[in-house]
Amino acid sequence: VFQGCGGLVSVLIVFVWLGGNQVSPLRPICDLRVLEHFIREAQDSEVIMRGCRGGCGAMKSYFVPLTSVDFAFWEHIDVHEQAVEVQTGLSLLVQALSTAMKAVSNSRLASALDNNISNIHSLSQILSTVLPDDSAPASTQSQEVSSLPELLQVQSSFLRGKVRLLLSAAPACQRQNS
Amino acid sequence: MTKMRSDRLKIVFMLCLAFITIGGQHFESKVAQLLRDETEDIKCFVEVKDLTCFWEEEEERNNLHDQYTFTYSYENKNKMACVVSSLSLLASNKTVFYCKLPKTPFFTPLDVQVFRDGRMLYSRSLNAENFLFLDSPRNLTVMSSEKEGQLNVSWLPPLLKYIDDSMIYEVRYAVEGSNMGKVEVIKVSTMLSLLGLQPDTRYKVWVRVKPDGVAYKGYWSAWTEPVLGVTQPSDMDPLIMLLVLFIGLILCLLSMTVIMSHHKFLLKKLWPDIPTPEHKFPGLFTIYKGDFKEWMSQNNGSMWGRSVHVYTEELPSPLEVLSEVSLTSHGTSQREERQAVEEDEEKESERSDSGLTDRWREPPEAYCLVEQLRALQENPESLSQSLLLQSHDTYVTLNQNSQGDDERQVDDVFEETLPLQMLFTTAGTTSLNTSHSDLSSLQQSLGSGRLSSQSSFEYPNHTWPPKGPGYAYVAVTDSGLGRHRMYTNDYKNEIFLHKWPLSGQHTQSRSESCMGPVW
Repeated sequence: VFQGCGGLVSVLIVFVWLGGNQVSPLRPICDLRVLEHFIREAQDSEVIMRGCRGGCGAMKSYFVPLTSVDFAFWEHIDVHEQAVEVQTGLSLLVQALSTAMKAVSNSRLASALDNNISNIHSLSQILSTVLPDDSAPASTQSQEVSSLPELLQVQSSFLRGKVRLLLSAAPACQRQNS
Repeated sequence: MTKMRSDRLKIVFMLCLAFITIGGQHFESKVAQLLRDETEDIKCFVEVKDLTCFWEEEEERNNLHDQYTFTYSYENKNKMACVVSSLSLLASNKTVFYCKLPKTPFFTPLDVQVFRDGRMLYSRSLNAENFLFLDSPRNLTVMSSEKEGQLNVSWLPPLLKYIDDSMIYEVRYAVEGSNMGKVEVIKVSTMLSLLGLQPDTRYKVWVRVKPDGVAYKGYWSAWTEPVLGVTQPSDMDPLIMLLVLFIGLILCLLSMTVIMSHHKFLLKKLWPDIPTPEHKFPGLFTIYKGDFKEWMSQNNGSMWGRSVHVYTEELPSPLEVLSEVSLTSHGTSQREERQAVEEDEEKESERSDSGLTDRWREPPEAYCLVEQLRALQENPESLSQSLLLQSHDTYVTLNQNSQGDDERQVDDVFEETLPLQMLFTTAGTTSLNTSHSDLSSLQQSLGSGRLSSQSSFEYPNHTWPPKGPGYAYVAVTDSGLGRHRMYTNDYKNEIFLHKWPLSGQHTQSRSESCMGPVW
């Protein structure tokens, strides 16, 4: 698993590096376009979910991270704490998505979910590279959702919010002129 | 770390202050705009970092915000209340109630409800990050480019920290005074070059901004105030270009005319013809393929005829032979000459049948000359005497007499050849054979013409009649006999004109001439 993840991350790094040179003077791994790509794919899963008519997963409850962001509050939080919260949340999402995928018989939805899972794995790798997660995983708050659409919505919101804010605010990814 | 945090807080506070002072204007305009565009009953938008939801005042209600209750909740939390405010729009003369959430949670579904008098009026669930209503871009500037038909547009994004990398812009430009505008969409970058514009034209430019829709979504911002820009004038004025083309065309035509009029001369200079002798040898190269022998054989007669004709063009003239013999000691010889002349007369009379009698009457001195010549033949030693030609020497004119009238003879002379008269041959060929080379040459050219001579006796002692202009004399000397007989040729018609009037005189002096040369 780690070898696969490592290979995938290395490919992603190359991809980001090739794409990143055109626009951002940041480190290639800090390029938000990779995250935005993942976000779009998470939103695609929501679209597929909305169009799903059969075999769209049983009604099941999932434990998902909290996605709400209060900018005023968020900016006061230490970046490492942010990193811990984000990593914990990503792992929760992976667990939930994996559980949901087992219950989905729709092939298109299942493949989308599988894609999302791999994306989250890549994100975890990227973030751990940018922000070394030294501290132990704290007990983060979580919430419970009762359906797959809600789960997908949480995933999308989490990626667009906390993950993105963390990546853009990571010290290693800050631009030198700012 | 704490210092960084305090710095960030200061920045945020300052920004908030700035937005409070400036944002008021924007708020009203945004409300007004959404009032027009948004179809939902309760309209919400996020300005900077706070969500504002507003609804239009129902009519028939005079009381303001007391009646309304605004609640919101998210993430299964308890409902929270929000203070309702009212706003009177001056432009549309409407009143709206709005509530601005103090802490807006993003990236989570937000449930908003509006109650009035305990009754729920409106309810809506939305994610705040999807309703961003940004301010218009700042500091729009339009600059003329050095290139033709191009304008450089630049601006600054609205002040929004966490979203500055995910904005898209729309640039609208139109000719001043025109309603037809074009739109250009540009992502992230805050500058744009407008291409393909008309030169030397004033353009208006507007810009607006919107979140790119990946992480954040929202409404288009309001257009900025238009900024004017002028494009560079075209380098080449079309009138000047036309003039230049016209002048160029005229010059070309002139040069063409000159070349065409002198094209032969120029062609000769640049590509000279190789001279060929073909015009002198007609048919040599075309018919006979350069075979000169063949050509000669074919064209021989005509060529010579032509050459002879050429010679005739040179007007062969009658040969006038002048005798210069001064024979003072020819007394005895004269008698012999007289006899010879008499013999000649007889012979000549025989030949008078040919119609030459009249002619022969004229030059009695011809006989004298023959007699003189005979005398000279018989008495070579008499020739040792001086034979210098004197002015009053006798001279013999040789011409070809036609069978017709004598009067025509004058004209005939120049038209035909003039062979020497057979007189000398008949009188004494043998005697003459041994004589002058000149005479012999003359004999060769003898034809059937007659000899008519004219005496010069009537012009004694240097009274040579002026013969008029154009007389030419050729002296033919005889060196065989040791004497110098000089013969002159007259080329002109005047000879014969002079002859006729003298003919009478000749006859008169005939008897005298036979006596001998009188000089």
